[in-house]
Amino acid sequence: MEPVAVGLLGLGALVALIAIRVPVAYAMIVVGGVGIAILNGPKIVLSQLKDLAYGQFSIYDLSVVPLFVLMGAVASRCGLSADLFRAANAWLGWLRGGVAMSAIAACAGFGAVCGSSLATASTMGRVALPELKRYRYSNTLGTGTIAAGGVLGILIPPSVILIIYSIIVEANVVTMFAAALIPGLIAVALFILTILIYVTIVPDAGPRGALPDRGELIAATLGIAPVALVFGVVIGGIYFGFFNPTPAAAVGAVMVALFGIVKGRLSRADGREALLETARTTGMIYLILLGAELLKIFMSRGGVPQAMAEWMAASGLTPMATLLILLAALIVLGCLMDSLSMILLTIPFFWPVLVELNGGDWATAAESPFGVNTEDLKIWFGVLALIVVELGLITPPVGMNVFIISAQAPDVPMRQTFLGVLPFFGAELVRVGVLVAFPVITLWLPGVLGG
Amino acid sequence: MAADAGAERAGRFGPARSLITAWALLGGLVLVGVVLVNAWSILAGAIVNRPFPGDFELTEMGAAVAAFCFLPYCQLVGANVSADIFTMRAGPRAIALMSVLASVIAVAFAAILLWRMSAGLLDYREYEQFTGILEIPIWWAFVPALVSLALMVLASVITLVEAFGELARTKPG
Repeated sequence: MEPVAVGLLGLGALVALIAIRVPVAYAMIVVGGVGIAILNGPKIVLSQLKDLAYGQFSIYDLSVVPLFVLMGAVASRCGLSADLFRAANAWLGWLRGGVAMSAIAACAGFGAVCGSSLATASTMGRVALPELKRYRYSNTLGTGTIAAGGVLGILIPPSVILIIYSIIVEANVVTMFAAALIPGLIAVALFILTILIYVTIVPDAGPRGALPDRGELIAATLGIAPVALVFGVVIGGIYFGFFNPTPAAAVGAVMVALFGIVKGRLSRADGREALLETARTTGMIYLILLGAELLKIFMSRGGVPQAMAEWMAASGLTPMATLLILLAALIVLGCLMDSLSMILLTIPFFWPVLVELNGGDWATAAESPFGVNTEDLKIWFGVLALIVVELGLITPPVGMNVFIISAQAPDVPMRQTFLGVLPFFGAELVRVGVLVAFPVITLWLPGVLGG
Repeated sequence: MAADAGAERAGRFGPARSLITAWALLGGLVLVGVVLVNAWSILAGAIVNRPFPGDFELTEMGAAVAAFCFLPYCQLVGANVSADIFTMRAGPRAIALMSVLASVIAVAFAAILLWRMSAGLLDYREYEQFTGILEIPIWWAFVPALVSLALMVLASVITLVEAFGELARTKPG
């Protein structure tokens, strides 16, 4: 049998295994391992397994992942989300829909120290849901806002998905972090605008909150100093090249933990729980990475990505149509799978297609149908992919953010939460459209910082 | 959710569960060590311009060892994500069968990797390789990794036994 045919059969087997609830990592490991054994003989696989796992786990660029996970796990237990919400609420709460806007702003602030959407949604839900209820916000708007706001956890750097993307396509993590910032801020603006439009149409959904006095305004604002400091040191330090992402994440984790300990907010039990949460997330990610590596070896031996790229390029679709199809595929897959597995599964196939369409690795902006050189394409597509894979978190059937918020607000039917998320989903589609139409929004900041 | 289910059945395999959890916490402490080395290196580099020598290789090794330590715990508490969307309407028996399959794969994978990495350890001992600056032998990292894999075999056997128990409970008729 042709190697390509074996590869395609392998992809079919992979889908079948995932469909019958084999954990994604194991599905990749089985298909990758068996596939290499078929193409190159079992001896090759067995000898590769001697140090493939250690080699993969000890990649320096990967070490930033567990450190950011640890930092986020500690941050969620330090009451930072309550501080952020209080400050945002002091500034915005008195507006119509203001408490919901505050929740969005606080989610963005928390996203600046945490790279996970689920953690952001769950910690913000605990803080903001009771307040939204107190001010008689409609259930639809209240729960929808927090479920959607959670997505900001991953859109605002640091972001675990972006780190993984950078490793797959060999991009610079720092550049990717810089590229994601402005699109992330646009998301915040659009989400707040969405709430504004919502309460203009349905005024009862978001009544005005309390007007804070001067003292509360100042005290609440000062309360966000720790988050601002951590973000400034970690992300600022990375942007301006003071340190690499790994030491930056380490410094951030130390700062957050010290803050929690000094404030007496981080007990021993919290510390233990934070470590175990880090263990669960990191172990899961690393096992998937090992599976993805085996699968990658198998697929490239089978020549599948190249075949797919040539086939897509020869299909007669315009490059822009192809890009939109790839993004749409990510949205659909995102409804079925978790975002990390999806990035690891799809990017090794999608990226060669885009490189081929763009005119090869060294294509300049002038030759490119997208008007960007291939290095910039890598950055631009990464940010677009990041946005669309995260949409799966707020869409049925497996919108994890919505599940988390529903668990916290048992009196609100899940249907209402999905309904409440809908306007924000619309805002996200608008944002993807804007970013596709104007690559410069994504590429400007990395260009400035890179000199 | 998965962690709660684990605690609930703590009576069965209690000591093994505690051991696997403790091993994960130990890995967490290794990670904290990596954090401290990096933070120290930055601080010392900034203040007295003398960064910690070898922080790079300690990070690589420490993060890898920590990740290995986490694997048995992930298997035990079901932290490895799967897509259950396609089988949401499946009956309890079908789901129990699928859990058996997933655990069988986990046992096989952990055992094969344990076997292959033991061979890897011997290779590294025979042709010794060292890290660049501190000259730590690479095979040192393989020792905790192999312990982790042995615990991963144990963890997946536990999940397998539980999956079989579930299967017996859903027996038709």
